[in-house]
Order: sequence, then C-alpha cells, then structure tokens
Amino acid sequence: MMSRSVLSYIGVMLLGSVFLHAAVQQLSSPAPSSPHRAVLNRYCVTCHNEKLKTADLILSNLNIEDVGSETDVWEKVVRKLRAGAMPPLGLPRPDQATYDSFATYLETELDRAAASPDPGRTPAVHRLNRAEYTNAIRDLLAVDIDGASLLPADDSGLEFDNMADVLSVSPLLMETYMSVAGKVRSLALGDTDLGATTDIYKVPERFIQDDRMDEDLPFGSRGGIAVRHPFPVDGEYVIRIRLVRSGDGYIRGIRGDRHQLDVRLNGARLKLFTIGGVNLGPSGPLYPRNGTFYRGDAKQIEYEFNADENFEVHFPAKAGTQLVQVTFLKQTSAPDGILLPPPMYPDIVDFKGGDPALASITIRGPFETIGPGETPSRHRIFLCNPTAPAEEEACATKILSLLARRAYRQPVTNEHVQPLLHLYRTARSRKNFEAAIGTALQAILVSPEFLFRIERDPPNVASNTAYSISDVALASRLSFFLWSSIPDDELLDLAEKGKLSDPVVLQQQVSRMVADSRSKALVNNFAGQWLYLRNMRDVSPDPELFPDFDDELREAMQKETELFFESMLREDRSVLDLLMADYTFVNERLARHYEIPNVYGSRLRQVTLTDEARKGLLGQGSILTLTSKARRTSPVLRGKWVLEQLLGLPPPPPPPNVPLLEEQESKGGKPVSVRQMMEQHRQNPTCASCHKIMDPIGLALENFNAVGQWRTVEANVPVDASGVFYDGSEFQNVVEFRQVLLNHPERFVYTVAEKLLTYALGREIHYYDAPAVRKIVREAALNDYRWSALITSIARSTPFQMRRSQEQ
Amino acid sequence: MMIFKKSIPRRTFLRGAGVTLGLPLLDAMFPVFAAANTTAKSPLRVSYFYGPNGRIMNRWTPKVAGAGFELTPTLKPLAAFRDRMLVLSGLNIKAADARPGEGGAGHGRACGAFLTGIHPKPGGALGISVDQVLAKEFGKHTQLASLELAMDPNDTVGGNDGSYRAAYTKTISWRSGATPLPTEDNPRKVFERLIGESGSTDPAVRLDHIQTRRSILDFVIQDVARVSREIGPGDRAKFTEYLDAVRDIERRIQLAEEQSARELPEMDRPAGVPATYSEHAKLMFDLNMLAFQGDMTRVTTFMYGREGGDRPYREIGIGDGHHSLSHHAGNPEAIALCAQIDAFHSTLFAYFLERLQATPDGEGSLFDHSIIVYSSGLNDGNAHTHYGVPTLLTGGAMGKIQGGRHLQYPGLPLSNLHLTVLDMAGIAAEEYVNNEDSDATEKLDVISI
Repeated sequence: MMSRSVLSYIGVMLLGSVFLHAAVQQLSSPAPSSPHRAVLNRYCVTCHNEKLKTADLILSNLNIEDVGSETDVWEKVVRKLRAGAMPPLGLPRPDQATYDSFATYLETELDRAAASPDPGRTPAVHRLNRAEYTNAIRDLLAVDIDGASLLPADDSGLEFDNMADVLSVSPLLMETYMSVAGKVRSLALGDTDLGATTDIYKVPERFIQDDRMDEDLPFGSRGGIAVRHPFPVDGEYVIRIRLVRSGDGYIRGIRGDRHQLDVRLNGARLKLFTIGGVNLGPSGPLYPRNGTFYRGDAKQIEYEFNADENFEVHFPAKAGTQLVQVTFLKQTSAPDGILLPPPMYPDIVDFKGGDPALASITIRGPFETIGPGETPSRHRIFLCNPTAPAEEEACATKILSLLARRAYRQPVTNEHVQPLLHLYRTARSRKNFEAAIGTALQAILVSPEFLFRIERDPPNVASNTAYSISDVALASRLSFFLWSSIPDDELLDLAEKGKLSDPVVLQQQVSRMVADSRSKALVNNFAGQWLYLRNMRDVSPDPELFPDFDDELREAMQKETELFFESMLREDRSVLDLLMADYTFVNERLARHYEIPNVYGSRLRQVTLTDEARKGLLGQGSILTLTSKARRTSPVLRGKWVLEQLLGLPPPPPPPNVPLLEEQESKGGKPVSVRQMMEQHRQNPTCASCHKIMDPIGLALENFNAVGQWRTVEANVPVDASGVFYDGSEFQNVVEFRQVLLNHPERFVYTVAEKLLTYALGREIHYYDAPAVRKIVREAALNDYRWSALITSIARSTPFQMRRSQEQ
Repeated sequence: MMIFKKSIPRRTFLRGAGVTLGLPLLDAMFPVFAAANTTAKSPLRVSYFYGPNGRIMNRWTPKVAGAGFELTPTLKPLAAFRDRMLVLSGLNIKAADARPGEGGAGHGRACGAFLTGIHPKPGGALGISVDQVLAKEFGKHTQLASLELAMDPNDTVGGNDGSYRAAYTKTISWRSGATPLPTEDNPRKVFERLIGESGSTDPAVRLDHIQTRRSILDFVIQDVARVSREIGPGDRAKFTEYLDAVRDIERRIQLAEEQSARELPEMDRPAGVPATYSEHAKLMFDLNMLAFQGDMTRVTTFMYGREGGDRPYREIGIGDGHHSLSHHAGNPEAIALCAQIDAFHSTLFAYFLERLQATPDGEGSLFDHSIIVYSSGLNDGNAHTHYGVPTLLTGGAMGKIQGGRHLQYPGLPLSNLHLTVLDMAGIAAEEYVNNEDSDATEKLDVISI
C-alpha cells in the first residue's frame, strides 16, 4: 500500500506558476546550515512548504543532515531529481553540477541508511497464475494444456498478473482447478476409459489465406492451420474440415479452379481432397435473402453450399502431442497478378469468389482405444510397473513421492506422502493401479502446496526481522521469475544440497536458465505485460480508415516485438538496445507496412534498419497501434505509455470531475490535426500541468499514424513532431526525441530494473526497495546494462534473497 | 426474510421424502403449496445490469415525474415494458466521492462502489457487493451461487484506473472486500460451467466421478489445515478464501447429485464468442435465461462493457470507441453517437426482458419472479460524475414492484436501492451496511406502492 502512494507521487504533478508568487513571499524554512540545505531552500521549498503543500509534499521541515530518518520522503525527492522532472519546466534550476551533486548526496545518504536493509515481505501465500499453472503442468507431466481457454483470467495489479496480493481464489477458479486436474490426469496417464471428446481449432476469420501461414506448415502450401494436438491415448481419431463460407453460406472460391486440400499428421500425408472447378450450372444469387427473383441452378448451389460435407479423415494416432496440418497446395502455375490491397472485412464476409480457405478443423476421438500408448508423460510418471500386487505399494510410494517433490517444489516428507497414499489405497480398492495413481495425481494438482507458492518464516526467527530465504525457496523464486514455472531437478537438487545461494552457483544457474527455452516466459509474461503487447489482440483500428489492418498484420506486429525482445535476451544485448537497435523482425506483410523493400513470405526474419525513425520500440507497429485510438493517434496515450513504461513516471489520473478534453474531430467541417486538438486542450491550466509533459512526448511520435505507418501530412497539415521534454531538452522529431531519452540511459534502465524486480518478486516495490534498485542499476552499468547483468543483479539483490519475518 | 424462510421447508420436504425430484415435477407440487401459501412458489431471481461510460442523460431522463412520464429516446426501445418498470432518478453513488488526495480515477471508483456502496480506497479493500449478499442466501439452493457475465474479456492489461487495479473496472461483483469475482465473456465457458463438462451419462461413471472428487476435497481440506499451521495467522486469509472455495464445491457436488435428474431446457453448446456485439449479448442473455430456468443460479450480473472501456460499435456504424466518445466535451456529434449506443443497449435489454416474460415459471413468468436493476456507475461520462446515475428497476419481484412510474430520489444513494432489493428478497442487510465506508442509509420508499 505504501508504494502505491510512492508511485502515484512520482506522477509528474506540476503546479502552474500562478501559485508561486504567494509561495515565495510566505517562505519560512530553517536557515541554510549546509550547501545542500541552501539548494533545497532555494529550489524546492518554494513550492513544497507547509503553506502550499504542493503534491502533499513538505520539505521545509525536514532535516537534510539526517536523510536516514525520513527515507520514504527523500526517496520521492530523489526519484524526481533522477528523472530530471523537478523543478518543473519554466522554474529556476541549479546548474547541472549542483543538481547532480545534490541528488548524489541524497542517494548516498539513503544507501548508507540502508546498510541494514529492509528486504520487504513477499506475501506468504502466492497463487500460481494462469501462465505459471500451464507451464507447471508442462514441466511436471509433459502435458500441454491451453491455459488461456481452460482457466479464467487472473486479476492484475501494477500491470502484472503475478502479483501475490491480488491473486485470489474464487469458487469459480477452484471449480476450474478441479476440472482441469481431471483433464490433465486423463492426458497424462492415457485414460483408456475416456470417451470421445471434441476440439475445434479455428483459423482467425480475418486471415487472408493466400500464402504459407505457419512455420509448421509445409513449403508450397497456402493457408490452413497447423496445430499441436494432444492425443490422450493410442486410438482412432477423426478430423472434420470446414471451409470458409460467405455470409450467405456459400463456400468461398469453389467455382473457379480446382484446389487440393492436404491433410497431414506429423508431416505425413493422411489424405488429399480435391475441391472446386465444378460447374454444373449458374451459381445462386449473392444475396439470396434479398434477390428472390433469381435462383440459379439447384445442383450447383447444393454443391457450393455442401462441397465440404464429407471432408472427414479417420486415422489412427499415437498418444501424445502430435502435429496436425491442414492446408491447400499452392497453385504454382497461377500467373502473378497485380498486388491488390487485402479485401476489407465486410468484403470477406460477403465475397464468394477468390480462393477457398480453411475455416476450422475439428478433431474428435478416441473411438477405438488401443491402449494408453507410450508417451513422455507416462514415462515420467510410471517409474516402476508393479507386476505383482505385493510390489504395488512400494511402487506407488516411489511414484507419488517424486511427483510430490516436483509439484510441491521441496523435499517431501511423510506428512506430504501419507495423505496421497491414503487416497491411492482408497481408490485402489475400486480401481486398477494406474487409475488409483491418477486419483492421487489429481489431488496433487489441487493441493495448496502445488497451487500456491508458500514462503514460511524460519521457526526461530524474531518477528519483523530480515532473514535470508532458504535455498529451496530461492529455487522457486528463480524458476517463477525466469521460467514462470516450477524448478527443474537440477535446480531443486542444488537447493536441497544448500548450494544454490553460493554466488558462483547462482550465477551459473541464472545463465543456464536464461539460455533455456523456458525463459521465453519472460517475453510472453514480462514483456507482454510491461509493454502492453498482450493488448494487441484487442486493438481495433477502424477498417474504414485502415483497410490494410487485418489479423495477419496484427499478429506480425505482436510477433515483431516479441522476437525483438527475445533476441535481446538471447544475444545478451544492452537494455538500451530496446530503444535504439538497428534491426527488427518483419515478414512481407509488415515490411510492406513499414515500406521496407525485398522481404517476401510470411516468416518473420531479422532485417537491418536503415531508417533511423524505425529503430527501437518507438518505431514498432505494435507499440504505436496499441497506444492509438480506433480512428486516430493519441498523443496522450502515447505520452502516458512512454512516461509510465519507459521512464517510470506515471502521470496522475485527471482530477475528479474534469473532462478529459479530447475528441474534437472537426470544427465547422474542417479537419483538425491531432496537434491542434491537443493545443486546445492545454489551454485549461488544470489539465496543462500534466498534459504539457505528456503531450509533447506523444506528439514526437506523430509521424507514425494510428497503425504505425509513416506519414508527413496529417489533416492537410504537415506533421510537426517537435517539442520540449520535461527536463528542458528540445527535439525536432522522433529520432531526436529518442536521443533525449538516451542522453540519460540510467532513467530508462532504472525503470526496467524496477519493473523487472516487481515482476520477479510478485509484489509492489516500496520506497525501501529503492537502494536495491539503484544497486542493480549500478552493477548493470558496469556491464553495459546487459540483460545478463541486470537479471543476475536482481537474483542477488536483497529483496530477492531475503525476506522480513511477520510482525507480531 | 419471508421468502427465504419459506423455501427451506420445501427442501426439507424433498429430502424427507427420500427421493430426488427433477425440476419439472415441482410444477406438479404447486397445488400442495398453493393450499398452504400462495406466494411461496417459484424462487425470486435478481439481475444487475451495468452500462459503462455513463449515459447521455437528456435522452434518458423523462421530463415528467410520476405515472405520466414520457418515453425518452433511450427508453423508447423498452416501450413494451413501460408499465412494468420504474425509472429512478437522482440516485447517487456517494461512496465514489474522491477523498482528499485521491484524485482522478473516476471510472474505477464509481464502478467499484456501484454494488458495494463502499468507498474504494486506493490500494485498499472494498466490501461485499449486494448481488453477493443475495447470492450467499439464494446460493444455498442452487448449484452456482451467482453468475458474472460480461461482454469484454477479463484479461487485458493496463486496465488500472489510477490507483485502482483493473478489477475495479472489470467486475461489479465482490465476494468480499478482497475477492473480486472475475466476469466471463465466452458463452462456451458459461455454458460448460452451467451444464458441466460433457462427460459420461452413465450413472456408475458419474458416481465414481463424484466419489473421486469427494475424496480429493477431503484431502485438500486436510492439507490446508496442515499448511495453515506452518504459516503465521496474518498470512492465513488467503487460505480461508481457498477453503471457502473448496467448501463451495463440496456443496455443489452434493447439489449436483441431488439434482441430476433435472431436465434442462434445450440449448446447443455455443462455439465461442459470436462475431457481432448483439449476437454475443443475446447469447449471454440466453445463457442467463438457461441458468434461471434450470434454477442453476438465482443471481446474475451483466456488464455491457468494462467501465471506461473503449469499444467501437461498428455494428451500428460507430467507429470511435465508447470511452473516447463519452468524453465528448460538448461536441453534438459525439453526444449523438453516445446516445445511439445507449439506445442500442436498451434494445438489447428489451430482448432480455422479452425472454423473461415469455418464459413460464410456476404460476407466471420468469419476469414476474425477477428483480432487475439496470444502471450505470456514471451519470455523465464526459465529466465522470457519479451523481444521478441512470437507473431502472423492473421485473415483477413477486408483485412487489409497482411499475409505470418515474420516481425521483434526489440526494439519496444508489445503495439505498440495494437495501430495497434486499428487503424485497427478504434478506437481512446487516452484512451489507455494516461497514464504516458504506454510504447506504435506508431503503427507498414508494417502490411497491
């Protein structure tokens, strides 16, 4: 709760100069006893005194000689100073040397006061979120589940959905855990009693299926879908295929050429269907509902409505996750036509021409169960196979002990295993051995030890005292931080031997874990939320204004930033490269959007950027689109995003009952440029105090339209992207603006470090964490702000390694 | 208390008779009860509807008060229900007033206080919402205590409003001050939750299923007890929540067993989220109907959108987002578009009411046995004012609502309407008002006269 207020005060709340005259006259603070006191009196206390209480901050009565006694207040001050956000633009500032020495003095004093640090207290009970649960199931049992469709979304706090405080357990969630545990058990064991189930995979409606769609599809294919489907047992399955239909129900594109539809399992062809090229007579009317005067040929219509009726393939499949591919063979002889812009959505709905496309595939089964099969999951679970009843109990004990150790992420005792064995025995009296193990497995998956990360204070520690967490707890902190999952055996083994806290071992393990593919979780969960990438799914640019924006572009944009972030981690680049790297990832679709020549095909690949404006996150379509409105750019959203996500200075929310003052699309029929709109809006002094900070940042990106395309004219006015940053730096365009950010790399790195630490701990960052964050940034600076340095420093930091015991 | 107390003997009777009766048979039993008491037939259902971003009030509020009120443009789609609804003007969400130093967050505070009547403190806890007070009692008789439906997905990021985390704008239902109930927007998931995963229909397999679940729940309860001993008392709150959830399932399993013979109205399993807003909304309403009809729950909430959400309504030709439009700054075009969205919501609401009315339920229709509150956390979305929120009260409420009037309650809190609903449902309001941050004072009068 404390840090919430810390964060909100960081808001760049600046008062207009209106109030200042009064302030100067009523000034009364202690006489300057030191040079720092003098700086404080001259530049800060003019507003932050007992009379004005600007931003609820009073500095006049604080003792600057004893910074350690008011660390919470001084941390707020340092934060503003280090961001260059105070004193506000237009008010006098000391020269840079004085400014820096003042800030350094405060920081040094604060860090000195933190010699006996407060590591904070991560909540004792921390529920696994949806992503962590899904990954834990994968790593525990080699079972892939689609967590997003099985589990309800988690509530998020401070932008991350792994914050212990807000991860609650509703009855709905518990109910879902129970039922998912049943499904997981069936998949893991290969439940031979399982009835047939149905899974539908849909191709997103707005995909234009004119090229190879996926890395998992064969070369020379067109459209379609590749899915990794978990087959629960060895048995017979059926795939049903449905093609895209127009709004009137016609299958699209089957009047023209013949097309071949290829169905494969793990790359091997199961069946090749032929469709189209059938012409039995005239087709039906385009709008049968309206046009009753014309009917068309009944047989032809019947064909165009039902041609995919028998598109079913029966096939045997082995248990385990297998790759199912359904796609059209690309017509190699078709002449290259003129490249037309992709059709707009309403056209796709009504259109019955073009090429046929895949709507969905349905996989149903098993029908003839042959057996549980040999799967990685069974291999992992059944360490022994009792051949005589007498062996069963020992084998069950072995299996359940190992499962519990991994699932509970700690050495297990009788206390853990006996209740599981009890369940097993009860079930065994009614069922066979494997099914009884399954019941105990199901129980493990809803046990509090699995669903929650539980951090216990050591038995003999005094209350409200800092202590080092155990190696076993450290193993979990590391794995949930870097993998969003449970520790693996190597990590657990080291922890159980007490070696993990050894700095050298820790460093090795961090390197190993970041190199492991599981660290992709940092991209999906950390970057996905930090940069708001997850919201790409929901952005909705107006198709009238942005007819080019379809689901392929949407996906390419999101993947671009994900691949970009992932390459930073994998190549251990500097954190600053996020803002300025000279490369990115595009496919043909996105390259066209960015006007980058000579990129063909649907695969995203690394390209070197020659256009300065495109470099770094601020030039990426994803960020630019998700900070725009449906019909235009929003300098407010963009400015806010930069302030919050890159600079760690969230602007305070607008004061109550003041309209956000936006949206004046036109005045007297004349289009108004976005900049003009913003200027109107800064005439109100209440709004101006924050918007004069936010808006110039957003306007620096005005050369990118609401879907991130470059433009030089907007609303018939040349785009003006110049402005003044809140620290007084001036810039003419986005390239210079980026340089303004890079002139103070530590501001950006501090924000990244703080966000990453928040994410790593799953709790809010408080003022007493600031010395640790500064230390992380200092250590990272020694290594050119490389990701490895940042992550290792976090893993070694006080809040990550230690914890404060409960207050009595 | 009336209705609740009277429904207990019914269940006791069922158990005492030693048989499990399906729902259709209940109709046959009515004469028995009719002889004893003509009011205790069908149970009461309650729904709360939430519209985000306020409304254009001069198209909503009738100028005339009392029985002669006129149908304004936004109310016109509800013409068929004019005489069965009350337009309530002037109700305030007082609890959403910003306290010194809180600033901004007009959306999060209003939405958080909407059904709780409790002032949301930044970073602090809220309190139980009125639907959950109802659900605690009504839920004793149904598989699900309540159902939270919404049109927006629950998992977008960055939905925080100032100091209020995203839950304050994404749900209106709070099981307790710390447990917001997630909403569901996917019709398929709602359906599966109501009907259960399509498992085997073989009674033996089902029984085995139930036994396994029971034994696992016993295991969990023991495990929680063990772990609770190892952590401090201050850390146990989350476990209490977890244990409550586990007990809830135990109870549901029992009810599922008892009610397995119940016949349900026919409905296909929905595939997912339909393409258009209206299809989606109607499907959600159909699911709500299914839940009411099958008596799977008696309390539902529905959100037309996340508070502050920026959904464009392309289906009715509106390309700009609702939130952006609601900050119209007096622009008549933007105001007209907002009003169009308001009327669109009314049209969909009319569909819901029509379905309620067309569905027979005991001696009458579902409509006769429902209370529906249709409102919003904001009055004017442009200025984030939460005074005079646009509110309708409809449904028959077992004859306790006398519709066809426009009533004015200037200065009274919306939570007083919540007290009225609790009173009509015969449920004690102590838990609801027993919070120092609650703004409720007393129930509204003349609603039933």
